[in-house]
Amino acid sequence: MAARTQVADINRELYDFVKSEEGSYRAHAGLTEDIVREISARKNEPSWMLELRLKSLAIYHETPVSDWGPSIDGLDMDNIVTYVKPLTEQESNWDDVPEDIKDTFERLGIPQAERAYLAGVGAQYDSELVYHNIQKSAAEQGVVYSGIEEALHGPHAERIREHFMKLITPRDHKFAALHGAVWSGGSFVYVPKGVHMDYPLQSYFRLNAKGAGQFEHTLIIVEDDADLHFIEGCSAPKYNVANLHAGAVELFVGKRAHLRYSTIENWSKNMYNLNTKRARCDEQGQIEWISGSFGSHVGYLYPMSILAGRKAQSSFTGITFAGAGQNLDTGCKVVLAAPQTTASIETKSISKDGGISTFRSSVVATPAATGSACTVSCQSLMLDDRSRSDTIPAMDIRCEDVSIGHEATIGRISDDKVFYLMSRGISEEEARTIIVNGFAEPVSKELPLEYAVEMNNLIKLEMEGAIG
Amino acid sequence: MGELLKIRGLCAGAGDKPILHDVDLTVGAGETHVLMGPNGAGKSTLGQVIMGDPEYTVTAGSIGLAGEDITEKAVDYRSRAGLFMSFQAPVEVPGVPLNSFLRAIVAQHEELKLKGKRYKKRVAEIMQQLDMDEKYLNRELNVGFSGGEKKKVEMLQLLLLQPKLAILDETDSGLDVDALAIVSRAISMYRESCDGSLIIITHQKRLLEHFDVDRTHIMVNGRLVETGDASLVDDINENGFERFIKAAPAASAPAESEGDSAPAHFDVAAALEHMEEALAAADAAALKDTGHPLDALSADQKPGA
Amino acid sequence: MGDWVEKNTVLEGANAMPAPTWHYLKMNDVSIEVPASLRVEPAVATAVSEQAVAPAGTFEYSLAMLQSWWDARWPSRVPISGAGADDAEAAYGGTAQSAYQRNADALEASQSLEAAFATGVGADAAGLLAQAAGDPIVIASDEGQNVRATVTVLGVADAFSSAAIDVVAGMNSTVNLDIVVDSPEAPENAAGFTGTTVRVLAGFGAKVNIRRMQTLDAGFDDIDDLGILTTDGARITVSQTVLGGNRTFTGLAADLRGDKSRLDIDLHYLGHGEQAHDFNYVVRHHGRETECDIQANGVLAGKSRKTLRGTIDLIRGCKGAQGNERETVLLVDKGVQNRTVPVILCNEDDVAGNHGATIGHVNAEQLHYLRTRGLSEKQAEALFLESSFDFALGAAPTEQAAAGVDRLARAVLGRSVVLDESEPTEGSR
Repeated sequence: MAARTQVADINRELYDFVKSEEGSYRAHAGLTEDIVREISARKNEPSWMLELRLKSLAIYHETPVSDWGPSIDGLDMDNIVTYVKPLTEQESNWDDVPEDIKDTFERLGIPQAERAYLAGVGAQYDSELVYHNIQKSAAEQGVVYSGIEEALHGPHAERIREHFMKLITPRDHKFAALHGAVWSGGSFVYVPKGVHMDYPLQSYFRLNAKGAGQFEHTLIIVEDDADLHFIEGCSAPKYNVANLHAGAVELFVGKRAHLRYSTIENWSKNMYNLNTKRARCDEQGQIEWISGSFGSHVGYLYPMSILAGRKAQSSFTGITFAGAGQNLDTGCKVVLAAPQTTASIETKSISKDGGISTFRSSVVATPAATGSACTVSCQSLMLDDRSRSDTIPAMDIRCEDVSIGHEATIGRISDDKVFYLMSRGISEEEARTIIVNGFAEPVSKELPLEYAVEMNNLIKLEMEGAIG
Repeated sequence: MGELLKIRGLCAGAGDKPILHDVDLTVGAGETHVLMGPNGAGKSTLGQVIMGDPEYTVTAGSIGLAGEDITEKAVDYRSRAGLFMSFQAPVEVPGVPLNSFLRAIVAQHEELKLKGKRYKKRVAEIMQQLDMDEKYLNRELNVGFSGGEKKKVEMLQLLLLQPKLAILDETDSGLDVDALAIVSRAISMYRESCDGSLIIITHQKRLLEHFDVDRTHIMVNGRLVETGDASLVDDINENGFERFIKAAPAASAPAESEGDSAPAHFDVAAALEHMEEALAAADAAALKDTGHPLDALSADQKPGA
Repeated sequence: MGDWVEKNTVLEGANAMPAPTWHYLKMNDVSIEVPASLRVEPAVATAVSEQAVAPAGTFEYSLAMLQSWWDARWPSRVPISGAGADDAEAAYGGTAQSAYQRNADALEASQSLEAAFATGVGADAAGLLAQAAGDPIVIASDEGQNVRATVTVLGVADAFSSAAIDVVAGMNSTVNLDIVVDSPEAPENAAGFTGTTVRVLAGFGAKVNIRRMQTLDAGFDDIDDLGILTTDGARITVSQTVLGGNRTFTGLAADLRGDKSRLDIDLHYLGHGEQAHDFNYVVRHHGRETECDIQANGVLAGKSRKTLRGTIDLIRGCKGAQGNERETVLLVDKGVQNRTVPVILCNEDDVAGNHGATIGHVNAEQLHYLRTRGLSEKQAEALFLESSFDFALGAAPTEQAAAGVDRLARAVLGRSVVLDESEPTEGSR
């Protein structure tokens, strides 16, 4: 058990160390067609990818910024260096990773966690994938876990072409278009038919360069009857220049296949996290999203499930904790597009110290969704009267033979509960922390142990000094 | 009179959990039976199973009503065939005024000849007997009604529909003395007006004071363990269920295993066919320049359908 | 009365919800088209308790008077200061508020009751309806008075018929306002437009009860625009029944400004044929211990469409406030579309906000009960549909409204819902 708590020891300070950027390649500020061509050329990409990038760039320039979500005025797109390439090629042996990068990941506990527990680890440092490994047994079953750029030149090139940005198109929104134009790095996972992964695959992203954007692309294909748990963790140190994260995650879940996608996001509080995640499930396929959002200055995050096959299922369990200076707009989207699909959404949000947390969702039932059902439950906790918590769920139901239920509540920690705990000798701060942890429990119980511990520690850190 | 309700070898359960075991019960026309037993014995379940609640599955045996086998019949069919069950906690139905509801259920029974003026008159008559204000007719069915008011609404339906057999599931629970008297009177009126048969599920004796009981049944752990005449009610009231519990077989036998599903049979052709379909749908969703992928997933494209 | 001066009028951004969401859902607001072919003809009948008729301008004057009441109370409220100003926020230029959050804070900071007063459909619609209505109907009750008013708006072929109503309810008075919108004499296939715009100021402890029943024929569009401001202890009930019409727009905005004021909204609607109903409720809690309860019940049949936006806004300082919203939508036929956005905005911790929505068939428990009484699933659904008319009949404020309900029932159900001796009771189906 001792080994399993490696990641648990991480705290905020640990995320804040900064490595030298000396020697890295930096693209010019601002975004032009030349930069996009340069990125593509350096990666030696196939021509269809360059075309996709250029088309995305054009869409990016013509698409307006959203007017309904958190302000991104603080994000000076001309000053975001979109592409930062560390001075290293991807390594598959941990010892070959350069010392400072290795140092970073060792402090984050990545390799230990891998050895002790995880089937494979991909670590993204700034824009390039620096380390990728997969346990031998998984590889023997035909499981592929590699850098997506590397995979573009390998035996799965055609498969990637068939799926890449097919779920998330550049037309989706401005930052999906930006992603299409400048994406860099990320993971490709392929789980063949019938293969059950006994241990999770994990990838860890970290932004180190000042004012850098990160645009990794994750593409996961889980074939029929296969099973995978994928864990994604994100962090970045503090800088005073705004950082942008506009990644994309595309998940294809085959018939009767199952994919659990867990994320703990703890970007530093100057991050603009405009990430897009989407899954498509075929007949009886199941997608489970577990999502914890703690970091970032601004967050736009709404994992989407498209239930395209009969009896496909989606469940979303999420928690968002917005503290000082944060406006986190999170939630989820579900499309019931086939008969007898089921979806559940359960979210918790916590606002404190002037932080803003918004739950935003959409549930769409197409006329094909006969016999489908969806339940939405969201609870919001206000820890003081300077903060804000909004709930904006939308439902568009175009099929009469469905059952859609929605419940939402908002309120604060009841004085009774605090009083009860204090009457048992617990300090007020501790009592409130216990209650908030209990509130978050439906999410933390879904996480692997070390992540659950990390999440509780994050809550504890956030709650410190909460009593004025 | 002949046999109205004839239950033979009835076994039933919810999900994998067996609840009723080998129940035999016969109720003749015009008879009043009382069903007693400790909490959780399966009394309400028996009522629900007779009525045809889809929550429960009949695994063996049969239920006959007036010579017809209704074991497989739908709930609404059984109602129209003359079965009635009063609920312990009738559901609230917002949007449907009591009057609209009553008219709709009466319309299922041509033989009652309760149309137009006759319907209005009959409803007014019964409501007066039940000490109910006619204003209730315009209120939404059971919405905001007290426990006693809900029970009266159940009795109102009983008297309107005049079923062949009425199962009253703890109709007396939670009622004050006045309401209990009214419900008790309603039951008497039902018996007298149409020679109706009754199965009364109850814990207490008070409800039974106003009329004669033909048979009393004791249920323990899902089995009918004793049947007697009216005096059994007094026996139970004095001595409780203890001796029946001791004598009864143990609680539910372990759930019969359905057997794990056969190993998945892998159909290569189907998988390939699916692959093409999935890719086609993904292509349709991609770069169509139509904006949102929802557009590509509209019904006419029928992905995976 | 004369011709419509404007060309085809399109009211953009009507019934807008304060906090918008994804545009691709097309739920943020609605466009109302008023064709140019209509002439203005306010076919309006009014019956108001005589002593309560007041001159135009009474509403504006009273609202201006109330400003000093609010100004005096304001300092005791928690000051609005955007978000907390600690270092973490300052480093990133403060919290990156959304546009609507910024606007809401600015409006609060202005403290202006006039600026905050709104009607649900929006200023453009209110202006159009008031302009077409001509002189407003102004109802002002004195302290302790009990006032009754009935306004009937008739749908007339090829005409735009509207009424503008102001209600200023004096301290501890009661105002009962019934609005009947009907088209009893319109020829078959007639088309036209009706609407009402109502502004309510409820004084200390005043009770205002508004019932509006709309039973228009299928060719008429209708706007129900309502704005409310409460002072301490005021209690407002609004009951709306939407049975008829073609495209209908119902918007209610309420500012629960006074402490312990309360608003109850009860909406019943039926969608049938090609109808499109659009609803927008915005309830802003300013006062302490204010309460609101929104109950929306509807049945959608045929190819009808419906959108309901319901926003409960718990504004900083509304300590002890409670907002509830519950929506039940029964979907009967293939081809219906239901869109629902139940929003809670919250900027105060000492509150309770709840909303719930149930959309689909008759729920399993209700269906089982109805089946034990002999109704099939289809018959149970038919019961709900028919009950919409029975329910409306029971709630009809006037004989004309009851006649309107029955006229629509004959058109939609093919039978009367007014029971009489000769009438064979078909029950369901």
